[in-house]
Amino acid sequence: MASVTLEHVKKVYDKNVVAVHDFNLQIKDKEFVVFVGPSGCGKSTTLRMVAGLEDISDGILKIGDRVVNDVEPKDRDIAMVFQNYALYPHISVYENMAFSLRLRKMDKEEIHRRVCQAAEILGITEYLGRKPKALSGGQRQRVAIGRAIVRDPAVFLMDEPLSNLDAKLRNQMRAEIILLRKRVDTTFIYVTHDQTEAMTLGDRIVVMKDGYIQQVGTPQEVFDTPVNLFVAGFIGSPQMNFLKAKLIQSGNGYSVELLGTTIPLNPDQNQALAAKGVKTQEIILGVRPEHTTVLFDNKENAIECTINVNEMMGSELHLHLSSQNKDKIIVRLPTVDLSKEQRAQLSYGNKMYITFPAKVMHLFDPTSEKNLIYG
Amino acid sequence: MTDLEYFKLSKPEKMLRSVGGFFARLPKGIWNGIKKLGLFIAAIVKGIGTNLADLVTTFKNGDWKTRLSYLIMGFGSCARGQWGRGILFFLFQTVFNMYMFFPNAQFSGCYYLGKLSTLGTIETYKEGRRTVYGDNSFFILLYGVLTLFFIAAFIYTWRMNIKQNRISEQLLKNGHKLKTTKDDVASLMDEQFHKTMLALPTLGVTIFTILPILFMILVAFTNFDATHQPPSKLFTWVGWDNFNQLLSTDTASYGDTFRHVLLWTLIWAFFATFLNYFLGMLVAIMINKKGIKLKKMWRTILVMTIAIPQFVSLLYVSKMFAADGLINTYLMKWGWISSPLPFWTDPTWARVTIIVINVWIGIPYLMLIATGILMNIPADLYESARIDGANAFQMYKKITLPYMLFVTGPYLLTSFTGNINNFNVIFLLSQGKPLSLQLSGNAGHTDLLITWLYKMTVNDTNYKLAAVMGILVFVVTAVINLIVYNMIPSVKNEEDFQ
Amino acid sequence: MSEKKQIPEVDIVVDHEAGVIREVKPEHLRSKSGHEKRINGSIYAVLILISIIWLAPFVFLVFQSFRSYATESGAMVAYLLPKQWSLDNYVWLLTDPSSKFLRWYGNTLIVAIFCAVLQTFMVLSVSYTLSRLRFRGRKLIMNVVLVLGMFPGFLTMITLYFLLKQLGLTQSGAVPGMILIYVASSGMGYYISKGFFDTIPKSLDESARIDGATRLQVFRMIIMPLAKPIVIYTVLMAFMAPWGDYVFASYIAFGSEPNYNVAVGLYQWVNVADYQGFFTRFCAGGVLVAMPITALFLALQKYYVEGVTGGAVKG
Repeated sequence: MASVTLEHVKKVYDKNVVAVHDFNLQIKDKEFVVFVGPSGCGKSTTLRMVAGLEDISDGILKIGDRVVNDVEPKDRDIAMVFQNYALYPHISVYENMAFSLRLRKMDKEEIHRRVCQAAEILGITEYLGRKPKALSGGQRQRVAIGRAIVRDPAVFLMDEPLSNLDAKLRNQMRAEIILLRKRVDTTFIYVTHDQTEAMTLGDRIVVMKDGYIQQVGTPQEVFDTPVNLFVAGFIGSPQMNFLKAKLIQSGNGYSVELLGTTIPLNPDQNQALAAKGVKTQEIILGVRPEHTTVLFDNKENAIECTINVNEMMGSELHLHLSSQNKDKIIVRLPTVDLSKEQRAQLSYGNKMYITFPAKVMHLFDPTSEKNLIYG
Repeated sequence: MTDLEYFKLSKPEKMLRSVGGFFARLPKGIWNGIKKLGLFIAAIVKGIGTNLADLVTTFKNGDWKTRLSYLIMGFGSCARGQWGRGILFFLFQTVFNMYMFFPNAQFSGCYYLGKLSTLGTIETYKEGRRTVYGDNSFFILLYGVLTLFFIAAFIYTWRMNIKQNRISEQLLKNGHKLKTTKDDVASLMDEQFHKTMLALPTLGVTIFTILPILFMILVAFTNFDATHQPPSKLFTWVGWDNFNQLLSTDTASYGDTFRHVLLWTLIWAFFATFLNYFLGMLVAIMINKKGIKLKKMWRTILVMTIAIPQFVSLLYVSKMFAADGLINTYLMKWGWISSPLPFWTDPTWARVTIIVINVWIGIPYLMLIATGILMNIPADLYESARIDGANAFQMYKKITLPYMLFVTGPYLLTSFTGNINNFNVIFLLSQGKPLSLQLSGNAGHTDLLITWLYKMTVNDTNYKLAAVMGILVFVVTAVINLIVYNMIPSVKNEEDFQ
Repeated sequence: MSEKKQIPEVDIVVDHEAGVIREVKPEHLRSKSGHEKRINGSIYAVLILISIIWLAPFVFLVFQSFRSYATESGAMVAYLLPKQWSLDNYVWLLTDPSSKFLRWYGNTLIVAIFCAVLQTFMVLSVSYTLSRLRFRGRKLIMNVVLVLGMFPGFLTMITLYFLLKQLGLTQSGAVPGMILIYVASSGMGYYISKGFFDTIPKSLDESARIDGATRLQVFRMIIMPLAKPIVIYTVLMAFMAPWGDYVFASYIAFGSEPNYNVAVGLYQWVNVADYQGFFTRFCAGGVLVAMPITALFLALQKYYVEGVTGGAVKG
């Protein structure tokens, strides 16, 4: 059990390609932290630096209180699960799991006990005698995890462990990882490009892009108060809608002008903006699809849109709309309450009206792309 | 011109552009090469500078253990408890000193180094029955080069020894522990594993490849030949004379013969590579065609020529084509010809025969390679072509051939340079014959540069020209490689087709 | 009524040998058109012709090796089939006191065995290191090897001869001398097996290192067990090469007949020493050399094909 501390950690390839810039993060003992971001954002590189598979160009990495910059991976007391499982193909599942323990010259009885226990937890006891080739993707993934948990490591590293699985299996394994985490109760660092995984698994998530940390926080924080356009767009599905709008300051209050409608902001929003000294300016307004209300008839301060696509998802509809000034908007509409007539209206070319309250609005500066309130 | 406009061009125009592009890039490429070389030299000079500066500061700031290490290598390491390293350093220094200043002045490193500029002046001669030994140019040159190697290694090790001291001092100052000998050994199995693995191969290559090559490059600038055989006749430096002899247009020299042999070498390499390539591919396509049975048997039959040692198969075939060989005697018996066909006696006949027999040896390799690649061509490429309405020949031209050429581009290159140096086929079949009075230096009409080099070495002991020839073969190979590397995309970029 | 559209009926067949999935017309629809038949027929004709050309010299060789030395000539003759079949040549090769064939055979076998072991060790060390370890100077080493490879091998022959002579490894010491020469620089031929190592996922090494293995242990416990095909390929190549080497062997063993290898010995019989009388003996010797080598090669053909095609595709 240990904390992991990264101080000004930097990774430079070939003297000029910077993969990770000035990475600062304190991971507490027994915390589950997820690094999330698009490919090439430096999340895997950071994880591999923690593992000791990549040299650290600059900065300090501590596991517990020990600086481990120059410590070999095997002496860092970590275990890692790889995207392609990296099972040793020539030995059985049992031997795969026992490999690290044998290298550590552990007592035979103890090895057997631990392997059996791990196999039990993961439900792979009956496959212990097989070679990895004879297993399905999900079973291989379990073996890979089993190989890590027999070690009882201080830090558990996972590099996109689910991305080689099909969608159904991925959901199932995700739930199992949550369970597993309860049982092995140690520090986890988990890398993924899938924001759903990040949101469901992490105590905290670290959103990265182009080698920079964009935001660190609990899933709720990152979802509710994204600090910039990137985080806002990356977290949440379907993606947050971005609309061109104008922020107007009048006296002590602010309001947003959008397609002819004016929406006054809440007191706490006013306060925050005033504290930052924000003036009247062009903004990008962010609203999540689930926060918009769809109206079938016009109403004051509603925005008129045209339906482009109607995606039926079962329990809900995803409507792809376009506003009068060609902004694309997606809204989610639960299907339970829809009447037959209403459903008939939801077809290509028809007019719809949407509204949203001030509290769900995110205001971004168009040039700095920062959140005007939280950024 | 934009990319889009390029697509509208006709085929010859496109080709013209790509060839033109190559020559247009050439000056820039050369300039870049020169620039790189300049930067490289600058980096070396700078490196030497910083190293020297570091030596001085280390001495100034170092403690007495460090300072003494400048004289006695490994002292600092031993004094700080790193016995393993220290003793190795010290041993190396001792061996080096022994070699350089061996009590018997005749065979010390210094002796060889001192004589290197003249390659020896005192010839060995006989005084009555007693032999009076003098210098030996050969050993002076060989051990001279070896000594230079040794000195370079010594300087490097000495520098390392000093660096070690500085690093150890720093570590101790910061309160770290030094690595023990046990740690050092363990790290040779882990962090430094590449050193363990490469030690023996590097030693082997250095002594048995690099040293001999350097030696021979130097020999090219001496008059080491049949009339200068040490120790009784010493050889010495002659500058570029040998190159002049081989490259000049003067009729009395080897120039004509060299050009003749070079031309044939290139013609040979061309046919040996491309004829085999296309025929091999053809055979592979035939064998792999749908509906052809016994695929494995056909393949195994062809592979026989790879399995059977060439000296058996080629020697036998060479005899089959001899004037009194099976082919001629049977043709005469059947009355098809009245006198033996000049397979090995007429220059053109001999050359064609060699190329044809080489097909016999070469097709199976290409058949195997082509089979592997044909099976790797994604089936959907053919399916989409079929849907687009292509027939069998069009599919071959538009898919199979480009794919093969692309994937085997690098192979073709190595195969071409391999054929330039294809000693076995020529030597076992014709030994370079037929000889000719027009050619000097015992060269024959089917001699390649490499077989001529062999003859010069073994038959004529004309080492100086053999050395020059070796260098020229290197130059030819290197130039071809450079050009092709710049023109074949797949050598540079392996990802495109994947 | 609309025109009835014909849906082509096909079977999906997995061609295991080719490793592809093919569409094949089911048996009842497979109308062997005359065109197709003619094409296949001519292909068979070509293949049979090729097979004859490929095998004929070897068959002739075998025929002539069985020609009686006593009643017919040992020289080349103007007919193919022996008038009298006999084992004369073989008996002479193996039992006659003036025949050094067994000695040469033994020499070559010793060289081949040592090469197979040591050369494989060298090649695997270099290729593994260059493929899977990252260290300063790696690129430099590869470039140096590339440049060295452009020099013709025989250029260094004289120097090597004198180097060996200093060590007493020429003439009577030719056998260890040959082994040394073949093995010393063999690390430069790392290319094909490096290509193989490159295909093993890197995460296996990384996983093992996190599991606590040193790099030596990764090599020994993870990579080597997976490298069986390339080990066999390398051993096969290293074992076969000495059987065919004439140039270095003749130079190193120059004049010392008991220390020849088979290639040098038999070459002398054909081209130098009164070959007319020795021709059939050469044939018999050739058969004796070729048989075990060919058998070995054909048995391990699969690995050879993998190595060669892998190497060519990667460059």
